[in-house]
Amino acid sequence: METDNTEAPQLRACLRGRAYRQRVYSDDRLRYPLRRVGKRGEGIYERISWDEAYDEVVSKITEIKQNYGNSAILFVAGGGNQGMLHGAVPHALMLHQIGGYTRMWGAPSYEGALFASMATYGTMMTGNNREDLFNSKFIIMWGWNPANTVWDPGTSLWLAKAQEKGIKIVAIDPMFTDSAAILADEWIPIRPGTDTAMLLAMTNVIITETLYDKDFVERFTVGFDIYKKYVLGEEDGQPKTPEWAEKITKVPAEKISILAREYATKKPAALIAGWGPARTMFGEQYSRAANVLCAITGNIGINGGYASGFMRAYYSRERIITGGKKKVGPIKSDDDKPKKLRLQDNPVDYNAKPREDSLYKLRGGTNPANTRIHYNDYYNAILKGRKGGYPADIKMAYIAGTNRLNQFSNVNKGIKALKTLDFIVVFEQLMTPTAQLADIVLPVNTFMERNDIAVPWLGAPYYIYLNKAIDSLYESKSDLEICRELSKRLGIKESILYLPEDQILQLLSAPRKEIKNYKKFKKDGYFKVEIEEPFVAFKEQINDPENNPFPTLSGKIEIYCEYIAEKNNPLMPPIPKYLSHDEHYDSLKAKQYPLQLITPHNKRRTHSTLENIPWLKEVDDHVVWINTVDALKRNIKNGQLVDVFNDRGRIRIPAKVTERLIPGVVCVYQGAWYNPNKEGIDLGGCANVLTNDIYSPGGAVPLNSSLVEIELSPNNQLEEN
Amino acid sequence: MKQMGFYFDQTRCTGCFTCSVACKDWNNLPIGVNWRKIKIIENGIFPKLFLAYLSSTCNHCTNPPCLKACPVEAITKRASDGVVIVNSNKCIGKEDCGAKCLKVCPWDILQFGNGENPKMEKCNFCFERLDQGKQPICVEACPMYALDSGDLEELNKKYGNVVEAEGFKYSKDIKPCVIFKPKLKKLQL
Repeated sequence: METDNTEAPQLRACLRGRAYRQRVYSDDRLRYPLRRVGKRGEGIYERISWDEAYDEVVSKITEIKQNYGNSAILFVAGGGNQGMLHGAVPHALMLHQIGGYTRMWGAPSYEGALFASMATYGTMMTGNNREDLFNSKFIIMWGWNPANTVWDPGTSLWLAKAQEKGIKIVAIDPMFTDSAAILADEWIPIRPGTDTAMLLAMTNVIITETLYDKDFVERFTVGFDIYKKYVLGEEDGQPKTPEWAEKITKVPAEKISILAREYATKKPAALIAGWGPARTMFGEQYSRAANVLCAITGNIGINGGYASGFMRAYYSRERIITGGKKKVGPIKSDDDKPKKLRLQDNPVDYNAKPREDSLYKLRGGTNPANTRIHYNDYYNAILKGRKGGYPADIKMAYIAGTNRLNQFSNVNKGIKALKTLDFIVVFEQLMTPTAQLADIVLPVNTFMERNDIAVPWLGAPYYIYLNKAIDSLYESKSDLEICRELSKRLGIKESILYLPEDQILQLLSAPRKEIKNYKKFKKDGYFKVEIEEPFVAFKEQINDPENNPFPTLSGKIEIYCEYIAEKNNPLMPPIPKYLSHDEHYDSLKAKQYPLQLITPHNKRRTHSTLENIPWLKEVDDHVVWINTVDALKRNIKNGQLVDVFNDRGRIRIPAKVTERLIPGVVCVYQGAWYNPNKEGIDLGGCANVLTNDIYSPGGAVPLNSSLVEIELSPNNQLEEN
Repeated sequence: MKQMGFYFDQTRCTGCFTCSVACKDWNNLPIGVNWRKIKIIENGIFPKLFLAYLSSTCNHCTNPPCLKACPVEAITKRASDGVVIVNSNKCIGKEDCGAKCLKVCPWDILQFGNGENPKMEKCNFCFERLDQGKQPICVEACPMYALDSGDLEELNKKYGNVVEAEGFKYSKDIKPCVIFKPKLKKLQL
């Protein structure tokens, strides 16, 4: 594999891309359609023909649709095998044509950040281009580890170059991550789930020392005075001082004050608030508090500043696609709704009322249809159904492009729930823990075996044409091929899926107006969009506010969000607040389970994808990180086999005793495959055996808010290290 | 005489392993055989810590001790560019030989495959790529542009002549052909 041959910086693949060949040619690839013959979860399957498989899937879909209606079909779609055309896309288009399905809302990766972005700015298009980092005088990487998670190719390189230019970078993270160690000048360790408290204390310093941008606050924000009262303690009697925050966050008060002053006075400064700290209970509060801090220091809409938030707009993809005609601002009436059901609309969602707790009046963001079930709540939905207040009685799961069981909270409850279903079909490349619960497993090919277009993650300025390199291996087929056959058998007369692959790709890519020459793009394999100057979110709003209000209900940045206030939920306050919860470090539960678990992304996997690649497995052992102090208390030595457990389950993996983690915290990288022994102890070390299947009022998925305890495993063996 | 060498910017290396995996992909290496290795250097007590990575491979030394140690002259140094090449066909194998080459390499970089009496193998500077005017795959793969290669004299002009880094000690006698921008050992406070 070689890289693109453009000028530096090239779009250089990370180790995962470099190792992809081993996935394509993996012995573990699914070779032909399979039908379950043993009990659910036993993993006993027989080989069947594609004809048999198609017929069985179609007959089950038809039966369930007839008996229970379309909402009984749960469509579980993921980005595990995704391009512009393949992955979940053709499955969705096909299912729309037969009346739709029940779907989820609340993306585990970012729902907290998204909610906060919408509530504060009315859009997810925030942040500046990476090139613009050179204009900053100070950069904060908050819970953000691009050295491992990439965040678009080149991000770490831009940060390293910024540092080389003498721009100071500070990292705030419970772990001494690769980013904190290599890309930052200073690391501030923080207790997980307490980021909001530290942000409030920084805000307190900035307000009491009058370091905030008064003019900006007056012209562009609403609700500063209400927030100020809370921050200064006039609302609840507790001033959110650095001393207050020190006890909560474990960050020394003096350090908080210095950081606050530095951020407020070294203007322009970029606070890049990662999504990880928002993957907590009340994670949206952290993200809101970060966004508001950017605003009150006037670091929004200017070069070198950075509007934290969803951080999608550092290349304004939507703007280019729609030629600037995209509707902005809040939704004022039903006019905005498409008059006719379109191909991309799920009929089950189409006429649904919005969820009352959603921010449905704001354009963009999460689909607010009340027919949807929160991602982290669907096991309850399956188990309880309409009687339990859920919008559907689920009978069937149609799972494409996701190792759902492994990657969402509470694996043991998940197994229980999925086992109750009438039918499960999984479209996969490998026999994942999720596929092992299916009745029918269908082998899907990899992106090397079909044509597709890769859309940049979060919208960096490039596209990649994934030219087919080899024919499909074994009996595997592309999602498109599979859905064509299923569509025919479902009696769908007309469908975009019946067009040739290349024609569909041209149609799908046509709205992206910057791709002017499709043929050349296909031939080159990539297309880099030339950008004259770095994109700066909200530049128009700041430079010409008369003509460019913020797309919120007030037209300004909402420190106080009246729209949230209307919901009247004390756990979803209209200003950012620090809140504790049942599984926080100071909860009753912490007496029983005193360690906080964080579950970040590892450099050698993409979620659970690529877990079984030998070249990548060799890079890093799957272990639980534990601080030396905590290990000593439990008599745990480096390399020993330990059990990490709570009420939800138990995993058994070796311990890595380290200084690189704040005491009181353990880290199990998410994505390792669930592999239970006879007693139900997971020897694979799947982090979600331990996480809780609940969600925050704003939708954040609390993957970093679990409490656990650790003990030596019975018959633990000290491994050489 | 031309002498090829590597440059490694340790300040930029995030330990992403892309160079190492790209090498394995290009040379089709099995598990346990790593022609390019990543060393992790961790120091300090929480919260005052230091972390650096050292990406290293055969240094194609000016005076390679492995070459002298090999009893069957399986290791040679190309006259044209100083690249040190091993002829695995000639190598008599790890057990039969006693891995004499590995024992004299101060950087523990020579590799023996898995299985019985494996033959020595190591970085060949991607000489087929070099001959086509390309960079070795590890250099081309590094997302941080932290690796470079070329004639050592040219590299010295471009990057200076620092010969040590965290985790790497120079040898005056052997003269490894690698230069660095080392990460300074400053504990993060």
